[in-house]
Order: sequence, then structure tokens, then C-alpha cells
Amino acid sequence: MKRKRSDSGLEEDHPAASTPKRPRRTALVPANGALNGAPNGDAPYELPPSQGQSTPKKANGAAATPLKESGLKTPTHKSKARGLFATPTKPKSATAAPTPSRVRNADRSAKKKSARVLFEPDEDGEWDGSERLAEEILQDDDDDDEPEVDQAVESVEAREDSAEQPPEKEKKGPKRRAGRPKGAKNKRSPTPEGELPAHERYFFQNRAGPMKTSNTTLNKVPLLTHEEYFEKLRQYRDPCRDEKDYLRALHHRSFPQWAFELEEGFNICLFGYGSKRKLVEQFADWIYQRGAQSPPAIVIVNGYTPGISIRSIFATIASAVMGDDLPSKLGAQPTEVLELLQSVLKSRPAEDPVTVLINSVDAPPLRRATNQALLARLAATPGIRILVTADTPNFPLMWDISLRDQFNLVFHDCTTFAPFTTETDIVEEVHALLGRKGRRVGGKEGVGFVLKSLPENARNLYRLLLTELLSVSDEDGHVSDDESPADAAADLKQHNETGIEFRMLYQKATEEFIASSEMMFRTLLKEFHDHQMITSRMDASGMEILGVPLSRDEMEGVLEDLVLA
Amino acid sequence: MDAETRDKSQNQGVYIYQGERPSKRRKVAPTDHPHSDSHCFVPLLNGEEPPDCVQLRYDTYKKLWSEQERSIQEILDEVDAGVLTDVLSFVQTTSPETYNGCIPTALVTVGSNVSSLTRLLSRLNEQLTSSGNGGVVVLESGDAPNLKTTLKNIIRAAVTNTEGNDGYQKFLTDRDGPRLLGYDLDLLYDHVQRNGTKKLVLALRDSEAFDPSLLTDLLSLFSSWLDRIPFTLVFGISTSVEIFQSRLPRSCVALLQGKHFEVQEAGNCADKIYEMLQLREGSRLRLGRNISATLFEKSSDYFQSPEAFSHMLKYAYMSHFFANPLSVLLAAPAPTISSPGPLCQAIRNLPSFRVLCEDLAENGSAQQVRRLLEDDDHLLQQATQHINHGQETMKGIFQAVSILHTCLQCTQTMKKNSRSDLSIRALSGELSESQTIEDMLATLKISDSEKLRTLIERLADDNPVPGISEDFQNLVQSNAEAGPLQSAYNVNSSVVKTTVEQQRVHLSKGQAQLSAQDLEYTQLINELIDGLRGYFTANLNNPQDLPLHEVFLFDLRNPLKETFAPRPRFAIERALTSPFDYLISSSDVSETRISAKQPATAILYQLYLESGALINVHDLWQAFRAVFESEQGDRCDDRVVMALFYSAMSELKTFGMVKNTRKKADHLAKSAWMGL
Repeated sequence: MKRKRSDSGLEEDHPAASTPKRPRRTALVPANGALNGAPNGDAPYELPPSQGQSTPKKANGAAATPLKESGLKTPTHKSKARGLFATPTKPKSATAAPTPSRVRNADRSAKKKSARVLFEPDEDGEWDGSERLAEEILQDDDDDDEPEVDQAVESVEAREDSAEQPPEKEKKGPKRRAGRPKGAKNKRSPTPEGELPAHERYFFQNRAGPMKTSNTTLNKVPLLTHEEYFEKLRQYRDPCRDEKDYLRALHHRSFPQWAFELEEGFNICLFGYGSKRKLVEQFADWIYQRGAQSPPAIVIVNGYTPGISIRSIFATIASAVMGDDLPSKLGAQPTEVLELLQSVLKSRPAEDPVTVLINSVDAPPLRRATNQALLARLAATPGIRILVTADTPNFPLMWDISLRDQFNLVFHDCTTFAPFTTETDIVEEVHALLGRKGRRVGGKEGVGFVLKSLPENARNLYRLLLTELLSVSDEDGHVSDDESPADAAADLKQHNETGIEFRMLYQKATEEFIASSEMMFRTLLKEFHDHQMITSRMDASGMEILGVPLSRDEMEGVLEDLVLA
Repeated sequence: MDAETRDKSQNQGVYIYQGERPSKRRKVAPTDHPHSDSHCFVPLLNGEEPPDCVQLRYDTYKKLWSEQERSIQEILDEVDAGVLTDVLSFVQTTSPETYNGCIPTALVTVGSNVSSLTRLLSRLNEQLTSSGNGGVVVLESGDAPNLKTTLKNIIRAAVTNTEGNDGYQKFLTDRDGPRLLGYDLDLLYDHVQRNGTKKLVLALRDSEAFDPSLLTDLLSLFSSWLDRIPFTLVFGISTSVEIFQSRLPRSCVALLQGKHFEVQEAGNCADKIYEMLQLREGSRLRLGRNISATLFEKSSDYFQSPEAFSHMLKYAYMSHFFANPLSVLLAAPAPTISSPGPLCQAIRNLPSFRVLCEDLAENGSAQQVRRLLEDDDHLLQQATQHINHGQETMKGIFQAVSILHTCLQCTQTMKKNSRSDLSIRALSGELSESQTIEDMLATLKISDSEKLRTLIERLADDNPVPGISEDFQNLVQSNAEAGPLQSAYNVNSSVVKTTVEQQRVHLSKGQAQLSAQDLEYTQLINELIDGLRGYFTANLNNPQDLPLHEVFLFDLRNPLKETFAPRPRFAIERALTSPFDYLISSSDVSETRISAKQPATAILYQLYLESGALINVHDLWQAFRAVFESEQGDRCDDRVVMALFYSAMSELKTFGMVKNTRKKADHLAKSAWMGL
């Protein structure tokens, strides 16, 4: 949109390209055009948007030549340009002729001059002093007007920023970098000025903006392995240990209250920051010791255990209730086990109730709606007392009104600040978060180690695979550089997605006498699969695509080792 | 070894807790825990509360609440009674024959009152099974993932309903002929024949949640078995019958024929329960202003079943008796306490007791104050009296509220004053001499005898101005022929005189000629209004002014609000942004800045808050490390900090605050914003 105007309204376009003001202007231009259609009416829109956009060089060239042709310096054009120029800061006054004060007029003329300096830049030369000064003047102007910009403009700006993103990225040539917005004007603070209502704050915090993050990556930072993680964590001395212990002691004092609540037919939900597993265990111990004569039946469920099934929970409770009377064959469906449990409990109401303590009821394995519905039915069963703990901030969303009714929960804030060491596999989680999931084998070293123990054939196959992949990604990389902004993210994406087709690899492998039959070929691949050294997926047409879960550098390193070995 | 068992247990999905140290436990067990009673009340007053007081508190709680619970149950039963009899008679009178071969269907719209259907169905089941006519099978959407499982569940529920779980197993195995699969409706047919079931009611509790195509299959199947199995369907509908019908194909709807029932809204039940609780003769504990406001706020802001409402009431009772050592004074026959020392000390520390003593001292009864302060027995005796008096006053307040409500209904002011509103205002002592009462009396003043009659009839026995009713009857009877009597305050009965005097218009109001009866009526109105005004001022006391109101008035907002409407997100955000709110620190690290003394996740979270929608992990890591580096200098081990960074990061991920993004390498997307 913005580039379309480069022919007619180049005056406004050009400074935009070189001053930090640009993002804002471009966003407002369309709106402005709609507002004062008359003066801008002659703007030709016939240029396809892509033309100006394809490369930064081209755009500049196009902008530079018409500069002279269109007679930019004629007064008519200038006034037009001015009108456009003023718009971004004062959206309203663009249409209604402004009555500027004297000071403003002076500013104007300085601005005009500086704009002119910027319009006629020395394309090849570096930024000289005058340009920087001009830029500063324009910058000042922006800053002055900043307070006038109200929330509405702000949001427009946000939208505009997002619209701006692709061209911005595209221009990110090494030369251009100097001219990029410094970001001083658009400085985003996470906390909005003044008191905003919650929904406004949401949009404020959530407005789209240029990705102003740096391009550094973690490639240089060696990540932790499981062993190192645990070793290092052992060395750490928690500065808040005493306070945490005190906090736990406070929660301890609530045990009688919780017991009373359970006794009165309420179920309990503990929430708040920190792992509550220890606390629950201590509570279990407390109940256990209390009923000294006949130890009460207590079942503890670790909801974070991957693959835990509701049926197994019910079955364990049933065995806790029935002991040796448990029928040898429980139903396969959780509801069947639950109903058995319910009927047993119904038949002996005098018995001590069963206490079920569920850690992390909102952990992914238990989070599903059906599981929660079943747990709610368990909670509603007379003779069952339930205490659940929830770790995530939004866990109440799991339960609708009827489930809440069945659960009949009372909530207690049990912030413990205890780390979730058992609940989550921390190293694995972080690596998954960073998109390095496939590095289980231990990256380059791990692959190398595995390869050493494999036969010659397998090593050759892996070498072949790597060579093919690298050549494929080279080609891809080349193409994408031209066509779309290939940035680090795209790069990463490529690694995940480049692959070689199964058939093709097989063909090459037979050509090189690595595998003589498909069976043999598959056997070799299986070995790689077992060590998670290759990935395989189906593409849209149903072909199997093979890849390697390594970064490019690592692939090259492994290949080097293979070839040299 | 202990640690080993722990480790094993933490990786186990589910296990039966066997105690921490089974061998040691046996040694200490019996002696260590003298309070082997089933209850878990803790001695209060710094643990100095004598055990008999603790026991008494518990017993009093049990006694009072069980009474209340019974009354609540009565209310609920009464509310349900209408619908229950309707549905029951529907079930009993209808059959496929009367409905041209369609399945008889009851559509029960429950609205927000979701729990009412469960009550209704369980009572329906009781009625049907006790009469031997059949039974009710309740089906929830969770039981119906597919047709086979659904049928199996229905059959099993129908059989176990009458014969129990073992009966079902036996029923499956002890059959002649080929063994049938669990979802074969032949089984159900067999069961129906054996038991002579006349009505098999199948209730779909949350019918909207069922898969429509499954429902269609199910209904067509039932329809084809209708000649052998006497199905009757009950659908619980939360939205509306039209919406429910529009979800089913027409061919399927054509198989059904039935009636629509409506269950009373939950709000009414809550009002009724509250009123009962406060007004009832036996309720010795009343709820104060804050707590009532919380209760009504919750029941109006959220969908809430009457059960949930009564659970909150129960929790209020529990809190009072669990945590207030003075609640022992509420025990019904005034308790005899063996060592009243600590208890009396506690009474003397009450703010309301101090006010009482100050008042007494000002009135010159210093002697009495001295006795109260020194003589424990006298204090207890006085306390009991004050409490009894307070009970009466509280009852008076609620009676006055209920009379005021009746009056307001009759005078029909524009503004609707709900009863709960009035109660809350009365409890905060604002109602006495309030605008509401004045307006009501003003309207009453000008109302004619017809309007007054309705009011007097409604007040009936509770009339606070005794004798007025008879006077009114006499007056009206003596004046039966003429129209309704007017009071002198009515606009119609005053005339405006216009006189022109020295070119000025003088308007003067004057009394129109009133008949003798009208005058008499006016007098009666005056009497009534004076009576009412006096009554309201006398009864609408501020409960907070009553001596020892802490004992019989429970008015803490917090335990109830926090336990039933928690703010987990706020709690986590608070813990992470200002961790020292929770970790009461010994050193002076109260400053809000990020420091390495805070837990790692809190540091990372605060850094995270400063970022935009995309976060560069490398930069985040650098910032995180800088926090430690700046404070620990050379002692700081990068890898240890990295380990902390890992654990903090994984916690943020667990909380759903960050997620993976492919927009840029090594970047994270922010997915939660503070304070929203």
C-alpha cells in the first residue's frame, strides 16, 4: 500500500524511507488519503504493489528518478506533500486546515528544510551531519506531538506496524541497517501509561509490532544436558530456603482445618505457585498418623505421570476399599470400575471414607474434559474425599458449573515456591520449547558415537543422507533468499522441513552399493530411527520424507567426521 | 531407604499410601494422639482452650447445622414437589399407546438450576422402585461416547438399579441359550420381562451435550424396541426446547411426543433458604452484612445451584465454630464450663464488651463493670443474657425486614427492593429511618381503604400494630356501601383555592369536606403509620451495636469469598512479581527490584513481563544471567545460573505463559499478560 504511492507522492514516501517516522506515516497514509481524497486524488494506483517491493534497491531507484521528473519542488506539490507530512502526527488537522502558531511555523520551516535534505540524499554516501540533524528535527517534531497522540492513534499505529513488517524485513540489507528506525519513538513499555480498563490493557499489551528482538541465537551457548543440570542444581543454595520452610509450616497448621472440611463433605483444591506434592504427602502422613488405631485408606495420585489412566486410578481406589475382595476382573471402561466402586461404598456406609489425594489435577494427562468429568463423579461419591492440587493459573476453566457442583470444592491458596522437580522433565521441556527436541541423542557427539558403533554400510548411508540433505538445503536456501525474506526463523523451519524423499535415497543407496534390497535399506534406516538420528514424515502427496534432527552446522560437522574417518 | 521409597512413589501414577515409616509408627501411635475423637477441632486461645470447650463447640456446630440442613432440605423438597408430581403423573399415565406409538418424552428445562434435575430424578427413582413399577436410568453425556457403550451403560444401569452389581454379573452369566453381548437390547427386554417393569425411565441429564447423531441412532433404536421395552424419556434441557429440537433431525423428533416441564430458578431457592436461616426460631448463629452481601453477589453473578448456596452457608457455620472460641457460648442449654478463665479473658477482649463497659461506667454503674471484669461466673451469666437478648434483637430485625418487604410490595413503589437487599441494608444498620421507609410511609398515607385492606390482609398475624386490623374491619363494614375511604392526605381530598388579591393570585390548599368516616379513616391511618414507624425504629437496630455480637453474628467476608471464588491467576502472578509477599524475609530485601535473592522463576517472570510478544531466548538468558552476575560478581557460576534458568523456563511453560514459535530462531511467544 505504501509503496504504491511512490510515484506520485514520492515526497512523502522518501523521507519515510529514511527517517524513523516512517512506520507511523505509512499507516496513516491510507486513512489520510481517504480523508482528503481531493488533493491526493491524482495518485495513480496502477502500479502493482510488488514492483516497488521486490528489492530495496529498485524502490530507491524508482524513487530517485521521478524525483526530478515530477518537479517535486513546485509549490503545489510541496503543499500537497506538506499536508501529507503533517498528517501522521495530527490526524484530525490534516483535513481541517491547521492554524499553526508561530513557533510551529518556525518548526515547520525547519522541518521543510530537513525534509528537503532527506529527499535528496546522497544514495551512495554515508549519512552526513546535515542528514542526521534533519533526522533529529523530524524526530523532535514527532516527540513533541507524541502526547497528542491518543489511544486511537496508538492502535492505528500498532496495526500499521504489523502491516509494515514484511517490507521492513525485506529491506534489511546490510547497508540499510543504519537507516532503520531507532525505535526510540516507538519504545514500547509493557506497562501502559495511566489506568486502562482491563480490556484496553489487553489490546495495549497485545498490539502487534515490529519484531524488535535481536537476532542473536543460542547457538554459541552450550545447552545443558540432564546430568549437568542436576549436578549444577545441587550446587545451588536457595537463598529463600528458610522462608519457604516457614511458608510450608504455615500450611501445616491448616491440616486440621482441611481434615474438618473433608469430614464435612467438602473436597479441597489447593492452588498457588509452587509444587504442592510434598505438602500433600505430609498431609497424607498426618491423616495416616491421626487415625492411629485403624490406618485410613489413602490413595495418592500423581496426575503429572505421563500415561496415567483414569481407570487405573479407580481400580486402585477400588482395591484400597475392597482389599482382597476385589474381583479379579474389573471392567475395561473407567465408568464400570467407578460404578463398582460406588455400589461397594454404598453397601457399607459405616466404613471409614477413602481419602484420595490428587497431585496436579490440571496436568496434561488428566486435563481432558472426559477425565475431569469422571473425576467429578468420583468426587461426588459419598465415602470418597478428594484433595486435588492445581498448578496452572487458569485451572478453574477445566470445570463447568455442573462439574464444580459435583466436585464441591473449597479452595486454598497454598503457595509453596517449591520447584516442580518431579512434575516436569525440566531439561526436556526447555529443549522442546527451544525447538531442539530431537537432540536427545546428544547432538553431534551423540550421532558420531552411534555411528562409530554401526557397520560400514550404515555409516555410508548416513553420509549419503547428510550429503543429499545439505545439497538440498543449499538449493533451497538459495532460492528462498531471492524470493522471501530468509531469516533465521525460516532457516530453522527449513531444517525441520527439508528432507529427502525415501525413494530417492533408496535409489542413490543402490547406486552406491550401500543397500542391495529395500529390505536391507529399511533395516539400516531402522537402526537410525532407534537412535532418533533421522526423522520421517509424510508430505502432502503421501511420500515419505526423511530428514535429520540436526542443525546445519552439526550436519556439516558429522559429515566431516564421517568423510575423514 | 526412606528416600528410596519416596522416589519410587513419586514416579508412580497412583498408589495406596502405606505410611511413611510403618515400623516406627506403631510404637508411638496411641499415646501421641489423645484426641482420638473423630473430630478435628483444634484447641484455640493459644491452645489453652479446655478440651470440653472444644468438644462443645464441635457438638454445637453439629447440632445447629444439622437442624439448618434439615430445613434447607425441606425447602428444596417443597420447591421440587410441584415438578415432581407433574413428572411422576406424566410417567405413570402415559404410554406409547396413548401417544400413537411415539416415545413418551418429558422435556424438563432446568435453566441454571442444574442440580435440580438430579434431585428430581433420584426421587422419581425412589418412587418408581418402591412401587415396583420400574426405575430410572440416568445417562450423562460422558457415558455416551458411542452407540455400543451407551447401550451397554444403559443396560447395566437398569439392571444394577434393581439388582445391584453382583446381580448384573449373575444376570449376564446365568442365562440360557447363547451368551449375549453387553449392548444387546435383548438383555434389557429379558430384564424387563423378568421384573414386570412397566416404566423404564431413561433420563438424559445434560441432553445438549450428547452427540446429535448418536442421539438420533439411540432414539430410532428405542422406537423400534418400544413394543417390547416400555421406555419413557426425560430430557434435561439447559437452553430452550426450541434449540434442543432444532438440533435433532425431523424424522427423529417425529418419534417423540411429550410434555414440557419447568423447574424453578435457583435464585428463588437461595432467597428462601437465606430467609429461613435468618428467621428460624432455632438458628442461634446469624450471618452479618458482609457475608450476606458476598453470598448474594455470588448467587446473582454466577450460576449457582441451591446446593452450592447451602454449601456456602454451611462453610460459614463451619468457619465460625472452628475458629471462634466464643462460639461455645451458643450451646443451647447454657454450658457449664469447667475452667472458664481463658474464655472469660477472651470475652473481655471483645470490642463490643469494651463498649458495653464504657457505657455502663458512664451511666454510673462502675460497680457492675468491676464485677464483670473480676467475676468470671457473673460474666458468663451476663454474656448468656446478652447473647439471648441479641438473638431476640436479630430475630426482630429480620421480622421487621419481612414486614417492610410486605409493606413495600403493597405500596408498589417504582423501585424494586428485593428482600435480600433489604436484609443487607438492615444488617448494616442503614435501614432504620432510611428513605425507603419514609417513602413507603408517605405512600401509605395517601392510599385509600382498598389498598390498605390488601396490606392488612397480607400482614395478617405479623401485624406490628395490634388492634388496627379490627378497627379497620369495623370501619370498612360500617361504610360498606360508599366507595373506598380516602385519607385526608390524599390529593383528591384537598382542594386548591384560588383567590385574586391585589392583582396577585393566591393559591391556598384547604381540606375538602371529608365525611365522618373519612376522618375516622385518616385517624386510623395516622395510628397505623405511627405504629409502623415506631416498630421499625424499635426493631431495626444496628447489629454491630449489640453487645457480644461477635458471638452470634458471623460477619467475616474473607474465608467465604476466598474459598469459593479463588483467584488462582492473581495468586500466581503475585507470587512471581512480588515473592516477598509470601516469603516473609528475615533480611531486608523488601525493595521491589529484581534481585538474585528472589526465586529464579520470579526473576525470569519479571524479565518476561518487560518483553514484547516475542522473546529472544538468548537475550532473556543474558538478562537473567546479568541479574546474578551483578550481585555475585565472580562467585557466580554460569552453569548453575543456567540450571536455574532452565527450571524457571520450564515453569513458565507449565503455566502456559510462553510457547514455542517459529517466527524467529530461538524465540518464544508470550501467551499470558499480567493482570488481565
